[in-house]
Amino acid sequence: MLAFLVQRISQAVLVMFVISVIAFAIQDGLGDPLQEMVGMSVSMEEREAIREELGLNDSMVVQYLRFAGNAVQGDLGNSYFYGKPTLEVIFEHLPATLELVIGASLIIMLLSVPIGVYAAIRPQALLAKFFMGVSTVGISIPVFLTAIVLIQIYSIGVTVEWFPVDTGWGQWLNGALSTDGGMPSYGRGDDLTHLFGTWHSGFFSEIGLMHLVLPCVSLASIMLPLFIRLIRAEMMEVLQSDYIRYARAKGLSAVRINFLHALKNTMLPVITVGGVQVGVMVAYTILTETVFQWPGVGLMFLEAITRSDIPLIVAYLMVVGLIFVITNTLVDLVYGLVNPTVKLTGKKA
Amino acid sequence: MKSDTPLLEVKDLDVRFAVRGGDLTALRGISFSLDKGERLGLVGESGAGKSVAAFSILNLIARPGYIAGGQILFEGKDLAAMSERELRKIRGNRIAMIFQDPMMTLNPVLSIGTQMVEAIKAHRRVSTKAARDIALSKLRKVQIPSPEKRLDQYPHELSGGMRQRVIIAIALLLDPEIIVADEPTTALDVTIQAEIMALLLDLCEQENVALMLITHDLGVVSQVTQRMLVMYSGRIIEQGPTREIINDAQHPYTQGLINALPQMGEPGARLFQIPGSMPSLKNVPTGCPFHPRCDFATDQCRKTMPEYVRSGNVDVACYEVSNLIEQEKNMQEAGS
Amino acid sequence: MTTATLSRWNRFRESFLWYSFKRDKVAIASFIVLLLMVFAAIFAPLFAPTDPYDLAQIDIMNSELPPVGMPGADPAFPLGTDAQGRDMLSTILYGTRVSLLIGFGAVVLQAALGILFGLLAGYLGGRVDSILMRIADVQLSFSTLMVAIIVGAVFKASFGNLMFGEIAIYMLIFIIGIAEWPQIARTVRASVLAEKKKEYVDAAKVMGFRTNRIMFRHILPNTLSPIFVIATVQIANAIISEAALSFLGLGMPETQPSLGSLIKSGFDYIQSGSWWITLIPGLVLVVLVLVINLLGDWLRDVMNPRLYKG
Repeated sequence: MLAFLVQRISQAVLVMFVISVIAFAIQDGLGDPLQEMVGMSVSMEEREAIREELGLNDSMVVQYLRFAGNAVQGDLGNSYFYGKPTLEVIFEHLPATLELVIGASLIIMLLSVPIGVYAAIRPQALLAKFFMGVSTVGISIPVFLTAIVLIQIYSIGVTVEWFPVDTGWGQWLNGALSTDGGMPSYGRGDDLTHLFGTWHSGFFSEIGLMHLVLPCVSLASIMLPLFIRLIRAEMMEVLQSDYIRYARAKGLSAVRINFLHALKNTMLPVITVGGVQVGVMVAYTILTETVFQWPGVGLMFLEAITRSDIPLIVAYLMVVGLIFVITNTLVDLVYGLVNPTVKLTGKKA
Repeated sequence: MKSDTPLLEVKDLDVRFAVRGGDLTALRGISFSLDKGERLGLVGESGAGKSVAAFSILNLIARPGYIAGGQILFEGKDLAAMSERELRKIRGNRIAMIFQDPMMTLNPVLSIGTQMVEAIKAHRRVSTKAARDIALSKLRKVQIPSPEKRLDQYPHELSGGMRQRVIIAIALLLDPEIIVADEPTTALDVTIQAEIMALLLDLCEQENVALMLITHDLGVVSQVTQRMLVMYSGRIIEQGPTREIINDAQHPYTQGLINALPQMGEPGARLFQIPGSMPSLKNVPTGCPFHPRCDFATDQCRKTMPEYVRSGNVDVACYEVSNLIEQEKNMQEAGS
Repeated sequence: MTTATLSRWNRFRESFLWYSFKRDKVAIASFIVLLLMVFAAIFAPLFAPTDPYDLAQIDIMNSELPPVGMPGADPAFPLGTDAQGRDMLSTILYGTRVSLLIGFGAVVLQAALGILFGLLAGYLGGRVDSILMRIADVQLSFSTLMVAIIVGAVFKASFGNLMFGEIAIYMLIFIIGIAEWPQIARTVRASVLAEKKKEYVDAAKVMGFRTNRIMFRHILPNTLSPIFVIATVQIANAIISEAALSFLGLGMPETQPSLGSLIKSGFDYIQSGSWWITLIPGLVLVVLVLVINLLGDWLRDVMNPRLYKG
């Protein structure tokens, strides 16, 4: 256990080192703190004096060490735009993104496992084939397009007049295909509950929840097909194995075989992939938040890019990198705890 | 030894595999019976259909295989016609199985205890505590060192031989009438094969359990079983008392198998080989499936499948044998 | 020459690939749709009623006209017009061209990088292998889209908006190629590891061939089918990545739109009821990606290569 932890943590530190070097390179290459601090009228000598004072003339290594040292102490500089510490800005925006990710993850977990398992147990069933077809189409639809279509249908509303309005069935079909719209598609709403610190939650009010629906569904839409396909494929492979046949030979019930013997073996690889997918999900939050003007870190990051708010971009990279590293390490740990064949040394026994 | 109704009677069993471009016949007209406490050997090369026969008894053939005809009568009830629900009451309870590879048989993510307790609870209403006690007593029976510890261990923590002991213990959990063992020692180290086989034989004798032993090892069959079947290309070609067949095999294929055993030849002599190889299911020859490799093959062998004839206590499907019997009879008649 | 090509054609017609293609209706339909779209995109200047890059042909008075079949439509613009009065059909044809070009270019680049690094990692093993694969791991755990967004953001910040717009096509090919090489590299490495154990490699070594020759002339040809399968799917991924980058404003400028930037520019007008400006290019994008994915699925089933799992 200890060896496993040490190995994982040293790996995580290494990855964070690489990320910090990249972040530092970006800051050094793109950011010019002087431009922000002083006007054009300042003379070259004065500039040089400030440069010296700020340590901008030191060697790269010294500058990096200073950058890393500050970062470890939680100082990643001030945002040009917000005029306050970048980490403070990020922590203000983080709860919105986390709620989006939590909501989408819930949708994914609640739907992908039953659908994937069903499609694996009854691969020939019509409904299973339908789910798989929808998944293939779903993978091909970019997340922002899903979001736009959802906005058109559920927020703006659709009026269908394809069928003759003077017949009963035409009216009925038109009515059935039309939607009223009215779902909120902009921001988080104005009824947030204060939890603690900078965390305001939309989970505890109707308005807050309504605002969460479309963004969460959009974000879930891209990962759901992937997970359904993955769970189905893994489960089908597991169902072929000897130990499943043996479980049947023992006279166990189908429920126990499918949902204990098979599912537990299926979920092991799914956990690993799921951990990697957290990273992908963060990237997709940028897209989802842009469409819905969701005031999370994704939108903040994109705005920082358009505003050339270099310190904020760098801080975002560092924080997101840290989140990835922590989740990946946690996923490995969980995998080790769930899978008895891994002796928490990181190697398969 | 034979009572009126055998414990298990397989009649005319046909098993097919539904594949693209029609069905492949894996088993054709399999008939045999097993009495209470009897030990029956099933021999043949790999691909002869031994494992399919073993799995079809509990209707556990993997898709696309299915039972296409015949009956599997267990205490007079046809397992082939039973619903999955009824079958489940038999599986593991009345008829237990031992699989070939102990490395793949136990579920890697469940503890030994879990896998033993669930088997008991699937058939009996007992508390977990009572089930664990039963499991423990069976683990002691298979002579596993420190059995209490094993219950909480996972399969990967045990060696292959230990795992097969666990699997034998699981087979004995509910005191079944029959154990079907599909090559139970093939995947093990040679050094412990004999040990495990001796253990299995011992326990079957002790508990008076009938054993159906699938193997390609004639040596094991001759030591362990009382009766044996020889399979070739999905058919039984010879069956009868083990001693009689080993000492005086009738079918040319069985003779070839016995001659191919190393200890039969002189030291340093070349091992006997049956020329050619068994046909695949896709192109089974017409007539007797063994005829392309048989020294005695005639036109008749190439055209039609021979019926079983009785020679002593042995049933054989071979024209050469039936012709010899015919000749002997004629000579005796001529002599008298 | 002609007999050689003829026999090659015959060999193809007798192959399993062609046989299973003929039997698979989905694959045939996908292939036809893809072929039509590629054809229309390549010859966009011939088919398009107007040249969307030519400001002189645009009349702002024609802006936000709906497609034919809706009240207020102008038959001159079958798919309607966008907010600047550009003909949607023309912009979509040109946009598909840009999207396909970037998708294809990015896959060529990532295949080049992926094959090179995958071969090196798989064949040389040891330190080279662990360094390259660790980089690939880190990149993949960040997700290719995230890497692309970051690289795109850095480029945009360092080149400035205008400059970036001019060289956007090359930038996007570069960004997506860099972001996605690990996918192909891991697949190549996996097949190289499997191939390396085979006798023909030992034979080539015994015969004294140089490492380069063994890697590229002996091992590479045997790893082509998994590369081919994954490259097909990667084209679809690259097109989606491009669309995402363009949608975020890190891709093609509005003056030279791809499908993604068309969707982006149309999105601003969806609230005013002009859904077609964003949803028609969106539909084209989905169809394009879907048929490529379906072909990829079919290829994977037929060739059944050892793809890298997970």
